[in-house]
Amino acid sequence: MFYRLSGVHHANYVSDSRIFKVPADRNLAAFILLLGLAAPFIIPSLYLNSYMLPWLIWTAAALGLNLVTGWAGQLHLGYAAVMAVGAYSAIHAARFGVPWEFALIIGGLMSSVIGSLFAFAALRVKGLYLALTTLAMQFVMDWVLTHSPMISGGSHASLQSPTLALLGQDITSDTGYYYVAFGWCVLVTIFMLNLKRCGLGRALVAVREKDFAAAILGVNSFYYKILAFATSSFIAGVSGALLVATFFFLAAPEQFSVAVSIQVLAMVIVGGLGSIIGSYFGVALILLVPGLVNGLVVSISEGLGMQVNIETLAHIPNAVYGALIVVILLIEPLGLGKLYGNIRDYLMVWPFDQFKK
Amino acid sequence: MKTLTKALAAISLMTGMAAGTQGQTEPFKVGVCYDLSKAYTFATPQVAQAAQDLAKLINMKGGIGGEPVEVIVRDHGNEPQRGIECYSKLSREGVFVFDTLSTPVSLAVLPRAMEDENILMQSLVGRGDAVDGTVFDWVYPIGPTYWGQAANDVAYIKQLHDGDMSDVKVGFVYFDYPFGQEPIEILGTLSEKEGFELQLYPVPLPGSDQAGVWSKVRREKPDHVIVWMLGGAHVVASKEMKRNGIPMEKYISVNWLNEVDIANIGNEAAIGIKRGTNVVGGQDVALYQEIMTELYDKGQGSGPMEKTQDVFYNTGLAMYSIMFEAARRAAETDGLPITAKSYKAALETLEDYDANGLMAPITVTADDHGGGGKTRIEMWDGKAWVPQTDWIAEYTDVVWEVVKKSSSKYEQ
Repeated sequence: MFYRLSGVHHANYVSDSRIFKVPADRNLAAFILLLGLAAPFIIPSLYLNSYMLPWLIWTAAALGLNLVTGWAGQLHLGYAAVMAVGAYSAIHAARFGVPWEFALIIGGLMSSVIGSLFAFAALRVKGLYLALTTLAMQFVMDWVLTHSPMISGGSHASLQSPTLALLGQDITSDTGYYYVAFGWCVLVTIFMLNLKRCGLGRALVAVREKDFAAAILGVNSFYYKILAFATSSFIAGVSGALLVATFFFLAAPEQFSVAVSIQVLAMVIVGGLGSIIGSYFGVALILLVPGLVNGLVVSISEGLGMQVNIETLAHIPNAVYGALIVVILLIEPLGLGKLYGNIRDYLMVWPFDQFKK
Repeated sequence: MKTLTKALAAISLMTGMAAGTQGQTEPFKVGVCYDLSKAYTFATPQVAQAAQDLAKLINMKGGIGGEPVEVIVRDHGNEPQRGIECYSKLSREGVFVFDTLSTPVSLAVLPRAMEDENILMQSLVGRGDAVDGTVFDWVYPIGPTYWGQAANDVAYIKQLHDGDMSDVKVGFVYFDYPFGQEPIEILGTLSEKEGFELQLYPVPLPGSDQAGVWSKVRREKPDHVIVWMLGGAHVVASKEMKRNGIPMEKYISVNWLNEVDIANIGNEAAIGIKRGTNVVGGQDVALYQEIMTELYDKGQGSGPMEKTQDVFYNTGLAMYSIMFEAARRAAETDGLPITAKSYKAALETLEDYDANGLMAPITVTADDHGGGGKTRIEMWDGKAWVPQTDWIAEYTDVVWEVVKKSSSKYEQ
């Protein structure tokens, strides 16, 4: 009923490898795209500016991490450090007078270079050892940022970002920032959707499942791992730069600390490894839910007229949020993306599958 | 049923479905976006409690300009993104005075506050160069900067050595990240100026392992050790000092050393430890006594009693006395409702204001948003803190040179 499957036949490979095999999915995506475009006109500026915008940028970043962790199967604990490289390079370039379009690309490329340089060393080991090596990268970057005023800027290591300008247009309004974030997130999403159905994506999946088996099939696993690191680092770099340019307005080491790396990893895992829609859900849960639950708990306690100690009030949302993650992973270990998939599968031939039972 | 509808209304308000009801006369509100759950919890509960108590006291006396005042406390968990969310949310609800008490969040909120022309109070946190009012119009880090505090520590040492520092060795033990690194530059400049020898001892975060640092201090024998660390790191340091036979008198801490740390070190063991401070510690303060008799004796305090017996509670009282005093003056001169502009003007009329002997007198001007940066050195005698100096602000020319150098980079 919801997903009309009648008339959907895949008679050749091209048709079978479409992004959206069922028209309903495509329509839903188009609808959400339209919603996203119309968001500045229907969503109050507070929600646009402090929820939607960071959500979209972090989703783009999480998709990048999903590429290396979800698709290529390489655990990465230094993702925030790669974002920092991009952010700082882009801002320094922009401060130097480079137009923002190029500054963003410079940021992405710098991240890519440093990310894959590190991968060269890190990829000599696998699994948990790789995770630890990437964690080391995070610490190296933290140290570099806090110890080189040249890079990190002046007082308290904060670096002011110049006004964002794209295509000769200064971007200063909430709506403008939103569209930049939206545009970048859509771009990354389209890239990821297509990655699934091209040779590179299949190679990455082969490497993830068993790298030496992939090697026997003629897939150079080292090459593809490096490629995954480089691509995901590029996405991280541009996302980091945009995060600073459109949201923080200045870069500080705390914005890219080890805690942030772990947060991004949590977004990907809670969302679902290798799931695109899952990344959207995962980011929403990890990034936005603490703030929302916090507001909710405060309103409830005020609404009920309870005199709750401010410290208790601050810790209840953390407990709720932690419990939420546990419950979600218990219900569906494959993450929120899979949860969505389950619902979709259930509704796929609804109500006709009911007859079978 | 009524509570249920109330709760439902609150939830719908929260999800943004219902527009907030606008009262006709807006009370003066302070947005207190604090980290009550992560890194800053060693101080934030006490400060927030002081803010709430002070607001209650003011409201008991009729509020400001006849209107009650309100402090809105929210948790941001020390995450810049949530701090911005808190700021954006409250500023749309008509709040124009904010305090974050967290350096990362203050840094993140600052560009927005400057853009929106909202007042950002950031006593003791955030970028130090924000005291430069010519660059940071809307930011008021009232209280000492870390630069000023370190300079005052040096002035105190100079006083101990009768003005001659040529054969004095000063050690600087600091957390090896921006908070701890900040005073290095000024200490270096002063060491050239005064001729003392400066020795640097970085401590890796989180400061739980300091064995190497203090045995190095023992070998190099500095006469005084200025310490830029927080919370539990003081306790670790004191143990290592004891192990290495370094007398406590050498220890001069940044203002982040409180009664909890003293209790953890041990009342007796801590005798001789010194700290720089801009507020009067202890309970022998007029405002504190008033809050006790008006609120806590009647069971109306905003939190547990023991939280008030902490220097950070007094710090909170000082910070919020300034904020409410400025609001009172704004209401007096420009009437209600108080706006960000009238509030800013009122802040800059504060002259030698010390909240009835609670803190170092501050004088805020359009150029100096720090209020003069006076501190004093106190020493723990086993029962109470004994002042070692008057309220001093020394080497202000050197401090301002660093401030100007740093703030000039902001606008580039």
